[in-house]
Amino acid sequence: MTGRAQKPRQGFELAMMSPALILLAAISFIPLFTMIWMSLTEVELIGGLSFSFIGLDNWARLFTDPGVRSSWILTIIYFVAVVGVEMILGTAMALLIHSLIRARNVVLSLVLIPMFIAPVIVGLLGRFMLDSSFGLYSWLLAEVGLYDGNILGTVGTAMAAVVGLNVWEWSPLIALIVLAGLASVPGDILEAAEVDGASYHHKLFYIILPSIVPILLVALLIRSMDAIRFFAIIFITTNGGPADSTKIIPIRLYDIAFRFFDLGYAAAVGLTMLVFSIVIANLFIQVLKRRGEAL
Amino acid sequence: MNALTQRLSGPIRILLVVVMLAWTLVPVVWMVLSSFKPDAAITASPPSILFTPTLEHYRALFSGGNNLWHNVVNSLIVAGVSTVIAVALGTMAGYGLSRIQIRGKNHLAFWIISVRMAPIAAVIVPLYLMFRYLHLLGSHTGLIVAYLSFNLPFAIWLMTAFFNDLPRDIEEAATVDGASKWQVFWHVGLPLMKPGIATTTILCFIFAWNDYAFATTFAGPETQTIPIAAAQLLTQTGIDWGKLLAIGTVVVCPMAIFGLLVKRWLVTGLTLGAVK
Repeated sequence: MTGRAQKPRQGFELAMMSPALILLAAISFIPLFTMIWMSLTEVELIGGLSFSFIGLDNWARLFTDPGVRSSWILTIIYFVAVVGVEMILGTAMALLIHSLIRARNVVLSLVLIPMFIAPVIVGLLGRFMLDSSFGLYSWLLAEVGLYDGNILGTVGTAMAAVVGLNVWEWSPLIALIVLAGLASVPGDILEAAEVDGASYHHKLFYIILPSIVPILLVALLIRSMDAIRFFAIIFITTNGGPADSTKIIPIRLYDIAFRFFDLGYAAAVGLTMLVFSIVIANLFIQVLKRRGEAL
Repeated sequence: MNALTQRLSGPIRILLVVVMLAWTLVPVVWMVLSSFKPDAAITASPPSILFTPTLEHYRALFSGGNNLWHNVVNSLIVAGVSTVIAVALGTMAGYGLSRIQIRGKNHLAFWIISVRMAPIAAVIVPLYLMFRYLHLLGSHTGLIVAYLSFNLPFAIWLMTAFFNDLPRDIEEAATVDGASKWQVFWHVGLPLMKPGIATTTILCFIFAWNDYAFATTFAGPETQTIPIAAAQLLTQTGIDWGKLLAIGTVVVCPMAIFGLLVKRWLVTGLTLGAVK
């Protein structure tokens, strides 16, 4: 919002916006309506596309399917673990990098590298580092006597591993965001606290963290939106196994759609996922509005 | 832990930095290093540090009947074209959106961000059906459209945020001097937007280049991208680790370099303009 009155004629601005917005409307509303329609039908792929309308059957199934329910529970565990650990680790990394005087830039650049790595390759790295016969990390864990089983092939450790891989890839993003927030912590208040003999603990919890709360919120929402958006890491490492212990909802959805080709039901499951992401997107807009940043 | 970093500065802080860098970099370094190992050394147990470096895995990637050039070309085509379309349209729309005064801008913002954030697993389902109907499965066009579904809203949103930050005085001065709105955009706004456009372009390209879910569903034998080639090698029995690690290195290194090129604007880009 510019806050300044402009000329009433805005034809130019509209003309600039329309190509992108028309294309965006086409690639968002057509799939959305297709999806809603699919969720009310049984989609038949063999012998040309055909739809038989079945009303709310898919939706009824959705609420009684124990597989979907257990996937949602796993999704919540996965989501809380990924986002929670990333927030804590990312903030710790940011505080550490912020405390550096020399080499801060180099260290930050090196720390950011995992963000640019394709999820498939993160999955590949997971398989490679955790391989039970030659993986470097498996070997290290066995040498120090912590664990010597097949990490990706065991219920429990497999979930820990996929959470760990996500944390590895995306904590740097939290660190980067928090670091931007730390630059705005009021220096004079910190100095005053120092003069008064405040401990670092005190400064951290009473000055630094409170003043970066808004930015922590942005970081939390950004990661919340992406945490279940991507699923390639799990796809590559465990594909939902062992014994469905990492089958979070996107993996389950993909299975329903492209292993069992039950596309109508998959659309219903997909729409529930969409509701989740829309709620978070809405929160994000609210936060931006409060910061006076939205569009 | 951080209470310590401040109080027990010096050695302990250095130790923590070393631990952080080890956590971050060991897997990447180990991948790159191992891609130069002979096969036996890659799967040696305990892991071997000393080996005679070899380029055989890279040679296997880019020569012979099974080479990966066509995967690289496919990746470049789909990531490149979707990025160019997203950034071109997104830059225009971003300028318009940041300058226009209309009611309901917040609804517009909400719509755009929702499209960007829609879960890929959910988007794949209707797109699959549409592409099947339109015979776009296995084509470059299908993948480009799929990538536009996240890159176009991203580019519109981010360019709007960048244009919002541009001071208006210069544009107003140009308008007073009699320049048309298009001239103001083209000769004044755009040249000042180089960092914003570069950041948006690089991030769009990385998102598309790194995609796996869309490509594994929509690509055909002729249009497979490199991540798909990597995934296929991984699901075979008797994994060719040397080749895989070489692919990993080829996929990762250029993106890490591109990403770090725009490090100064990364935080703006990756938070969709919420953090400057």
